[in-house]
Amino acid sequence: MTKSDAYKNRIELVQGTLDMLLLRTLQWGPQHGYGMVQALRVHSGEVLQVETGSLYPALHRLERQGWVRSEWKQTESRQRAKYYRITAAGKKQLSRDLGRWQQMVDAVAAIMQREPEGSDA
Amino acid sequence: MRLPRIRFAKQRDELSEELRAHLRMAIADRMERGETEDEARRNAMRAMGSIPMIEDVTREMWGGVWLERVLQDVRYGLRQLRRAPGFAVTVVVTLALGLGAAVAMYTVVDRVLLRPLPYRDAGSLVQITEVDKNGERGWGNAFSDIAEWQARSHTLASIAFDDVEGGPGHLDFLEGKEGSIGVAHATVSANLFSTLGVDAAMGRTFLEGENGAARQEDAHTILLSDAIWRNAFGADQQILGRTVKVSREAFTVIGVMPRGFVFPFGLEHPMVWVPMIPGSTDKTRVKNVTPSYETIARLAPGANVAAATSEIKGIQRDVAAQYTDQDYRDHVRSVRIDRYGDTLVGDSVRKSLLALGGASAVLWLIACVNVTSLLLARATARQREIAVRGALGAGRGRIVQQLLIEGLMLSSAASVMGIALAMLTLRAFEHGLRAQFGIYTVLTPNVRVLGVLLLLTVISALASSVWPAIAAARAPIERALRQGAAQSGTGRTQHRLRAVLVVAEIAMSLTLLVACGLLLRTIYTLRHVPLGFRTDHVVVASMTIPNYRYVGRDLNKNLYAPLLERVQHLPGVESASMMTEVPLGKTFGMVFSFGSDGKSAADIRRSKIRAQARAVTPEMQKVFHFQMLKGRFFNEGDTATSLPVVVVNREFIREYEGEGSDPGKLLGTPLLSFNKKQAVIVGVLNDERQNSITEPSQPELEVCLPQIAPGNAFYWATGMAMDIAVRTERNPASVVPELRDLMRKASPELANSTFTTMEQVVEDSYGSQQLASRLLEIFGGTALVLCIAGIYGLLAYLVTQRTRELGIRIALGAQRTRLTALVLRQAGGMLMAGLAAGLLLAYATSRLVSTLLYGVKPHDPWTMAATTLILLAGGLAAACIPARRAAGVDPMVALRSE
Repeated sequence: MTKSDAYKNRIELVQGTLDMLLLRTLQWGPQHGYGMVQALRVHSGEVLQVETGSLYPALHRLERQGWVRSEWKQTESRQRAKYYRITAAGKKQLSRDLGRWQQMVDAVAAIMQREPEGSDA
Repeated sequence: MRLPRIRFAKQRDELSEELRAHLRMAIADRMERGETEDEARRNAMRAMGSIPMIEDVTREMWGGVWLERVLQDVRYGLRQLRRAPGFAVTVVVTLALGLGAAVAMYTVVDRVLLRPLPYRDAGSLVQITEVDKNGERGWGNAFSDIAEWQARSHTLASIAFDDVEGGPGHLDFLEGKEGSIGVAHATVSANLFSTLGVDAAMGRTFLEGENGAARQEDAHTILLSDAIWRNAFGADQQILGRTVKVSREAFTVIGVMPRGFVFPFGLEHPMVWVPMIPGSTDKTRVKNVTPSYETIARLAPGANVAAATSEIKGIQRDVAAQYTDQDYRDHVRSVRIDRYGDTLVGDSVRKSLLALGGASAVLWLIACVNVTSLLLARATARQREIAVRGALGAGRGRIVQQLLIEGLMLSSAASVMGIALAMLTLRAFEHGLRAQFGIYTVLTPNVRVLGVLLLLTVISALASSVWPAIAAARAPIERALRQGAAQSGTGRTQHRLRAVLVVAEIAMSLTLLVACGLLLRTIYTLRHVPLGFRTDHVVVASMTIPNYRYVGRDLNKNLYAPLLERVQHLPGVESASMMTEVPLGKTFGMVFSFGSDGKSAADIRRSKIRAQARAVTPEMQKVFHFQMLKGRFFNEGDTATSLPVVVVNREFIREYEGEGSDPGKLLGTPLLSFNKKQAVIVGVLNDERQNSITEPSQPELEVCLPQIAPGNAFYWATGMAMDIAVRTERNPASVVPELRDLMRKASPELANSTFTTMEQVVEDSYGSQQLASRLLEIFGGTALVLCIAGIYGLLAYLVTQRTRELGIRIALGAQRTRLTALVLRQAGGMLMAGLAAGLLLAYATSRLVSTLLYGVKPHDPWTMAATTLILLAGGLAAACIPARRAAGVDPMVALRSE
């Protein structure tokens, strides 16, 4: 079953990366909470499964920071849902997060790719 | 009570809807993938997790959740308190008593001791006073002396000076838009305002000339206080340059001072200021000719009082050398410098206020201890409820928070009631406060006092509920939940804790009671001091004299004599007399001294006499019934044309003639020059109290008012102050309206006179003791009640807790008297411990009230014993009810009850 596969391959998100991922998702257009979970799952090749219990606190936190705004709209299946939209401040925050993320990846990569010293001799 | 939940309600509903939408979409997705509706719902819900928990965590992101929780706790607390109204009322009343006492006292302390002076950097303002070699103040400071200090001092940035004519009680009359009003006027140097750091709010202050005095061109100008400008001139914007009349003299208004400005500080009447322009006599240093001034100076930056004192003392040696009159020189030998703020509040007032403040703080502590004890008991009773909350997932922090909020609610309610109590107390003691501390306005708690109240409220809540809250939250949940656990010896430590609290309460109460007892004995002693005159049925009117109407006319002949004549004929008046000051009046002190011309031992002794001088009418003896020791008092035969006579008292003779002399020997001796003749002594009075009941008799000299005419050395004094004392046949208060009416007819200004009874004058002269003892009676009484309630509360609670145990004991054959003894023994133990600690505490602290005591020592064993017995009796009486209930336990009922 897809569900158990998803759970098997699930990896824990590094602290703080959830905010970045959510903001990134919203750059593709306004989205509701459920939609974001699906988008993250699909685009990560079924690896990232965001818990509802982390998603909503994170969204409300982002909204309080002023990085996202929300409004109630109809979905394609004509249901009411709360849509989130990234703000200008949110975009700035995203690029800051991205820069830090890139630095982090480079730093981790530099350490991981370095050959052990003893093997030179 | 409904509390606002709207703000969160909408947000919360939206969140629920958002999560429901999420769930719906998840279900729809799963059904699309082929799951049945049931399956889809079940799986989606499982994947999502606990919705209430998600809501909870998400809500925390909103901020302000704490507020929501607090509101929740408040609502919960209100429900709890509504369920136990008796408990809530007891706690609130107890705390309100403590808070009320503390706030009332702090209001007075704040007003008297902490009130900021309305001057810039008032801490560096000092007063310089010329003193003799014993440190006694002389006649004030001459302008020439002040000029010399100004010229040579480096430690003082500026020295200003002033003269309040006739002293603080003397009034002038300013003609305003609506009739004349009584004002106090001060003659001030021009540099006064720069020295105080205060400028006029409108217009300007006086122009500065030589030595800080005003310039000649400012003669006949005047500065008005804000109050006068508003009340007498309706805040007229065109007031500058206008002419106003003060006691018929015309002045040009040059400025209005800012609101709240007053100088000298503490005068109750609205003020005006006129410029001091040096006159020819200001250049002299001649006794009874040279005008004298009070000073106020500002310390130079970096200088202190000690440095200034030693500097001016050095200068003063040269200054004193310039005095040619030996006697005058002796009075200006040295100087004293005090901080201006310190000159305003007497040492005894400060000490008595601090003692009373301390007493109120102790009462507040007792109230807190009592409430802590009550809350501990309640926490025990609520153990199961708290355990249930714990079992349902409430964290310890949350439980403590909830209990603290309950405490805070109780103490907030108490603070509202406390402030009402404080205001009632202040109103009840209005008269005493005015007489003792010179507080003329009705005291209402100000912002600072409210701040202190807030602080005390929070501390009360914390102090009384932290302990019970923590104890309750720490109690193991499982044991409390088990059936009957509350009975099985819960918190033996808690009972011991409550016993300790009661012991502390007893100890503190005893301390207060001892202080109260000492003051009651003081008052008793004071009331039995022989005054030397009768005080019943005497009305006293302190006249506000309209001297300006009598310029060039004999006040005595034109105002006093006819007025007195008419007063004597009022119905119900037995006799009436006039005098510059009634005994113990404290309105106008006049001191008489001899010049030191001779060199003999007797001359030197006589030159040291400082006699209280009074001008009185012959009827005074009929009003006061004092005793003549020798000779006669004045009579109708003593008139302006007859031989001048004086009457002295025994103390005067003692100092004049030396110890052990015969008081009769001096009769007929000429004593002083009077109307260009020699006045002879015709009578000797027995000693009496003149200034204060606690002060022994001072030498006294009386002259006969009808013999005083303009030109006489005593004439000026009769225009400064005059009291009418009236002995009545009926209730003295009932004469006042007619008396006032008569006086108004004599001169309209006299309607402003103050009326009182001689008994009130005596009462006021008991000094701060009277006020202190009344306040301490209230504090001590409250402490006693709280203490007894505390003992009763604990024992009653213990008996209830032990009902089953007591029932078993009775069932097993225990004697009922032994059960009574069991409870009484417990009470006795607490009382003994508390009283022992209390006696130690009282022994250590009673010295704090020693300044208030008269005729009783701070460690008076009788007072200590009596108060101890009262508390012991009260405590045992409180224990009797629970003790009897313990003996009356029905074993069947007790055993069945669980």
